[in-house]
Amino acid sequence: MTNSDNLAYACLGRQIKNGLGDTSAFEWINNDLSKEEFSYNQIESNSNRIANILVNLGIIKGDRVSIFLPRSPELICSFFAILKSEAVACVLFSTFGESALLDRMNDNRTSLIITKKSLLKKILKIKDNLFNLRSILVIDIDEHLDSSILSLPKLLSNSPVDFKYAPRIEPDTPAFIQYTSGSTGKPKGAVHVHGAISSIKNSFIEVFQIKKDEIYWCTADPAWITGLVYGIMAPLATQTRQIQFAGNFNAEHWLKCLQEERVNVWYTAPTALRMLMQEEDEFFSRHDYTTLKRIYSVGEPLNPEVYRWAKRIFNCEVYDNFFQSETGSIMIANRPGIQVRPGSMGKPLYSINSVILDDEMNSANQGSQGKLCFKKGWPSMFITYMNKPELYAEKFSGNYYITGDLAVKDGDGYFWYVSRSDDVINTAGHLVGPFEVESALLEIEEIADVAVIGAPDAILHEKIVAYLCLKNSIEWSRALELKCRIKISNDISTTAIPQEYKIVSKIPKNRSGKILRRVLRAWYEGKDPGDLSTMEEQ
Amino acid sequence: MINEQLTNVFRGVFGDDTITLNDQTTADQIEGWDSMSHINLIIAIEIAFKIEFSNEEIRSFNNVGEMQKCIESKNQ
Repeated sequence: MTNSDNLAYACLGRQIKNGLGDTSAFEWINNDLSKEEFSYNQIESNSNRIANILVNLGIIKGDRVSIFLPRSPELICSFFAILKSEAVACVLFSTFGESALLDRMNDNRTSLIITKKSLLKKILKIKDNLFNLRSILVIDIDEHLDSSILSLPKLLSNSPVDFKYAPRIEPDTPAFIQYTSGSTGKPKGAVHVHGAISSIKNSFIEVFQIKKDEIYWCTADPAWITGLVYGIMAPLATQTRQIQFAGNFNAEHWLKCLQEERVNVWYTAPTALRMLMQEEDEFFSRHDYTTLKRIYSVGEPLNPEVYRWAKRIFNCEVYDNFFQSETGSIMIANRPGIQVRPGSMGKPLYSINSVILDDEMNSANQGSQGKLCFKKGWPSMFITYMNKPELYAEKFSGNYYITGDLAVKDGDGYFWYVSRSDDVINTAGHLVGPFEVESALLEIEEIADVAVIGAPDAILHEKIVAYLCLKNSIEWSRALELKCRIKISNDISTTAIPQEYKIVSKIPKNRSGKILRRVLRAWYEGKDPGDLSTMEEQ
Repeated sequence: MINEQLTNVFRGVFGDDTITLNDQTTADQIEGWDSMSHINLIIAIEIAFKIEFSNEEIRSFNNVGEMQKCIESKNQ
């Protein structure tokens, strides 16, 4: 097998070798809209210094290192430092609560965590249960707290700027882990490899078609596959001029970024566009974003009305596309050169073989709904789920990877998303497993039983709806709703908070105790729940 | 001046006993204050101060000072 670039070398070292060391890797824009330019050389030397620290702390090839930071230059440098040391990076959402952190970091057997002072308290609460954890590096404390909680600035002051690593590496060497949710059980860590770089680069070039002088902005958090692949790696590996914005969604700030940074190519999410849609047209007329030439969108289906609104307001084409944590790169996309059909995901990329299969895993008839599958073997395909090889095996049938999504292919080769084929909830582009939410809610003493489902939502695509069975003598109240919301925020993440609560006397289950979510979905939509013969006795 | 009760609400919602507030405090300065947890905060304030915010009010707060003024106006 031919060696591939180490992902860090592809993104940094190769550009420096080509004489681009002093050119801008990205312009960093803080929450207060102040700016700072970072060159390839700066990212290279900062990540080298962190890599030296990791190695000195005993991190070796294959060790897992978690990054628990909000989007920041330190996150980016830490990510590349981990890749250079040939350890495996796992970027975790800074909104994660204690249970979510514990599940993921125990699953990947994290040896070291890089975090900041304000997030450290969450880690300290679970530290004793992180059985493989050896060290915590804190980016914003001046002194070590003890022998294992260390000040990164202090260590950096004595760390050399050179770090030797092999620029070429066996392509199947694990590089990073991306957690995703399933219908049942705990989140699954999709393991990605350094050899993914060819898919990452080629898909970026094919879909975004960015010209030399164009400025690109990806709004996704790096803890999300989109943010990591198309917000960090792809633009750096292709010498794309880009901005990075530290903040979360804020309509005023985002429009200012588009205007002041003269963004040409903007990669965002349908939920963000739907949130912007809530603003009056007058709000947009106060900003000048005439430099914007193309908008891209990913995470959930882009509704035709949102597509038309964005095209009218921003006066440019909007290209929706599709990929997953497991695929590692875009698989199906609308893109320049292909006529956009509003509501469609577009067509498969040049090197991707995409099919719709029926329940017997045969080709579905044209125009029929079926399982969206990809012929396996593309370079960025995940190589396993961490510690769950049996679940990995279940994702394949013969030569095909089964996405878990239902779709339709029309006569002209366009793919149209229908829904998930399982119980996973896609809320604002985040996949949330019902099990994780239910487990946390069940820990609330007033709750006897619980089931959650996804329901259509005008902003989030799907919202989480919780059906609660309360203990005797407990009455539903706003205070109890707040208790549920805060429990989910602190244990899992704010993205997993149920937006609606329904109180029921019993959760519908089959005779073996499995929650009948189809019944709940029917109840929610006021439809006939269908065959109830498998439901346990009332 | 931000009153003690509001600080306690913030500490409860964000699970952080070290939070201190002033009029200029914004979401950017408090870890975990995003659009979803903002709803938690609003519900908690409504319960604690026995008031209700309108949708316009919820969207209008640029900092803690503006939130405090709104609470005070409803409690008068």
